[in-house]
Amino acid sequence: MEYHTAKSIVVVVLLLVSLAVFGLRVYRLLGANLRRGQPNPPFGSWGERLWGVIKFVGGQWRLFRFPAPGIAHFIIFWGFLALVLTILQAIIEGLVAFSNPEFVLPVVGSFGPLALLQDLFATLVVVAVVYALHLRLIVRRQRFEGSHKAQAVMVLLFILAIVVSLQVIAGIRIEAGEDTLAVWRPIATAVGALFAGLSASAMEVIEETAYWTHLAVVLAFLTELPGGKHFHVVTSIPAVLLRNLDPPGRLPPAPEFDGEVGVSSIEQYRRRQMLDFYTCTECGRCQEVCPAHASGLPLSPKLLMMNLRDNLIQSGEARRDERRDGAVLEKELVGDVISDEVLWACVTCFACDQECPLFIEHVTPIVDMRRHLVMEGRMDGMLQEAMANLGRYGNSFGQSERSRAKWTRVIDGKVKDARREPVEYLWFVGDYASYNSAITDVTRTTAEVFRHAELDFGLMFDAERNAGNDVRRVGEEGLFEMLTEANTVALEKCEFQTIVTTDPHTYNVLKIEYPPEVIGQRSVLHYSELLDQMLSDGRLQLRRGLGYRVTYHDPCYLGRYNGVYDAPRRIIEATGCDLIEMPRSGDRALCCGAGGGRIWMEEGETGERPAIMRVKEAAALAGVDTLVVTCPKDLVMFRDAAKSSGYADRLAVRDLIELVAEAL
Amino acid sequence: MNIVVPVKLVPDLVEDLEIDESGITLDTSWLRLILNEVDEHALEQALLLKEAHGGTASVISLDGEGVDDVLFSSAAKGVDHLIKLTGLEFGDDLNNHAVARLYGAIVERLEPELVLIGVQAHNDLDGSLGPLLAEYVGMPYVGYVSGITVTDGKCRVLKEYPGGLIAEMDVVLPAVLGVQAAEAPPRYVAISRIRQAMKTVSLDEQAAADPDSGGGPTIDSMFKPETGERATMIAGDEEEVAAKIVDLLGELGKV
Ligand code: SF4
Ligand code: SF4
Repeated sequence: MEYHTAKSIVVVVLLLVSLAVFGLRVYRLLGANLRRGQPNPPFGSWGERLWGVIKFVGGQWRLFRFPAPGIAHFIIFWGFLALVLTILQAIIEGLVAFSNPEFVLPVVGSFGPLALLQDLFATLVVVAVVYALHLRLIVRRQRFEGSHKAQAVMVLLFILAIVVSLQVIAGIRIEAGEDTLAVWRPIATAVGALFAGLSASAMEVIEETAYWTHLAVVLAFLTELPGGKHFHVVTSIPAVLLRNLDPPGRLPPAPEFDGEVGVSSIEQYRRRQMLDFYTCTECGRCQEVCPAHASGLPLSPKLLMMNLRDNLIQSGEARRDERRDGAVLEKELVGDVISDEVLWACVTCFACDQECPLFIEHVTPIVDMRRHLVMEGRMDGMLQEAMANLGRYGNSFGQSERSRAKWTRVIDGKVKDARREPVEYLWFVGDYASYNSAITDVTRTTAEVFRHAELDFGLMFDAERNAGNDVRRVGEEGLFEMLTEANTVALEKCEFQTIVTTDPHTYNVLKIEYPPEVIGQRSVLHYSELLDQMLSDGRLQLRRGLGYRVTYHDPCYLGRYNGVYDAPRRIIEATGCDLIEMPRSGDRALCCGAGGGRIWMEEGETGERPAIMRVKEAAALAGVDTLVVTCPKDLVMFRDAAKSSGYADRLAVRDLIELVAEAL
Repeated sequence: MNIVVPVKLVPDLVEDLEIDESGITLDTSWLRLILNEVDEHALEQALLLKEAHGGTASVISLDGEGVDDVLFSSAAKGVDHLIKLTGLEFGDDLNNHAVARLYGAIVERLEPELVLIGVQAHNDLDGSLGPLLAEYVGMPYVGYVSGITVTDGKCRVLKEYPGGLIAEMDVVLPAVLGVQAAEAPPRYVAISRIRQAMKTVSLDEQAAADPDSGGGPTIDSMFKPETGERATMIAGDEEEVAAKIVDLLGELGKV
């Protein structure tokens, strides 16, 4: 048989076999497996969704938060797209070799600028791949810890082989004078020059070897793709397209199966979430920013995704073929696959969700599994006590609701009761600001500043209950509903135009999660937003410039969750302080460690606590002696951390309102 | 194994207690009731035994504010039978003698193998409920129990004595055991489970008989603790009090 005919036959067979393998694997993962999941709620907003695909898949927007690796990935991604046509040329060329060994794709094979683009991209891809290998093998970033290294390296080598073999083929053709576009391929020309002087038959052997290498690697890559981290090449488009567009501070409704709230097996996740599990690229960006992981707790958002994915795949396999590792089916998702400790470690800071280039959600699946833990009563004693107190008294301190407004007793004059008389601003004080004796001074200072600005405000006194943000994130959905109902009844009795609170958690839940009919058209403001408004419209005037050098910590539920970054900064500026930013500021701020109900839990075995890391970060700034916060829990956490780590003398932890009061 | 847990609601100490004008009882207008803490342990121990040996668990309670919540949350934890005695309430002038007689009548009808009851309550003015109940129903009583093993209808208990001594003893069933601590901390029950129970479980309401307080002491007067001569009361807010305590400890050479 003639070589070219044999080539065609082999290419056809290889192609069919690999396409079949690829197709079967994709069917099992995306067809059979996803069908096991729960239906998705309707999507809608298709314009925004499509734009997201363009921006975040095409433009790779989020990847640039890690600049150098982001650029490398961008090059590999676009390089691959640019080279797809070349790869296609190689495959078709093989297919038709029996009749026309010199086949060239129309346009692609004759359009000079495209040839130039491909030539340049091929080179850039090689550079980017070498850089990526360097990151994986030599630098060994912490974020890759736990990822599949061998697989990652193999695929990088695949890409290298594909591109290099392409250039060798192109180079030899140029050297042999077979390429009419030679002038458009300077790099390939240079590669071809390496083979100058070889005999025509030697060059042919090299060319054919490069061809077969190229084809083999392309097809191996294709069959290797589904199931591993590189499956994101396929799933990232639907994953980004179907991403959650709700505000981050709104958890989806709690899943419920036969009266059992929460998720206890992989099938109870929605299909879109399952797509997330497949899409994780194991890049570890989420792990790198996770405060729980940094403090040595067993949680890594990346490993969480990988474990969910593995369980989804393995349980699918075990169902298909009972003989195959049926033990997987015996494993409990919550407990065996994902341990209780992992789930309780999360502070729901949203850093991981925000960092993920492909919009993979972590907080939601974590809370879903926590809900199951709560149903089973699997929680530590401290948390249990806090929940019991919240259920009984509406606050986690286990104090009577009658003493909720005790802090007002030492204030001159009466504070209005919003249940009895109309007020413009209803101040929803929150548990910490009401009950924690270490910070009620700050609460009183807030009242004094409000008074000074002649703000018409009132409280709900003993009718206020914990607003429920963290209760919901602990996974105690029933308690959350109970608290919401109690607050709703109380709020309905009050006449007001705006709700103001100093607590970002309360702010988030009232603004984002409370039933719309409760708040209506009225706005919910964080006190930093209110002060900012009052400063700009002149209701509040600051007379003294304080001149301190300060830094500011962004609370998760104010910053990342609700995008309030500028108001507190403008106020700091108005007090005449110099604001020096910490290395992690704005949406990169490190959580204090209190969120998601962690403040109620036993700490467990940890390394350095997030609050201490944060205090050190602040104290390391030259000349900075004050850490400004805008959350009562931050005040507690950081004051405590400053004391226990010996930084209390060098770093004062102060609430924004204290600066404002001083500057009046 | 059938187990009965008679429970008692007691004044919640998060509220300041006030004495009634009569001077012999608490002012109920500020009173708020909570399940006696060790009763939670008795309940937990009953559930543990039920889970291990099967059978049923019943809870008996007098009526009162918050009693329904207590009953439904025990149903959510796994109790089968909720009995509420109506017509009388905690907070009415009922001493433990009266409550023990009321509960005793029910216990006799239920014929359980075990009665688990919290060993004490902070308002036990006339002795604790367990021994009184045992007396009225004619069963043996062991108090301060912190472990119960049941094998072939026989029961072995761990009883705690002051000073850390623990005795192991066999008890003939049926018996009343005053539980000091369950073998596992009382479990948490999710609010949604309690809400479910409210919808699906019904209370067995039984009219209480006429109370008989006979045998208990009579209270002449009640008063708040008075400062003893040698005691120093430290006044001020938390910070001041803490600072003074630190000073005092310093003076005493303890820190
Ligand atoms: S979840 Fe996202 S950020 Fe985390 S490893 Fe996977 S792809 Fe990377
Ligand atoms: S929300 Fe925060 S603590 Fe939880 S997994 Fe993500 S980064 Fe880690």
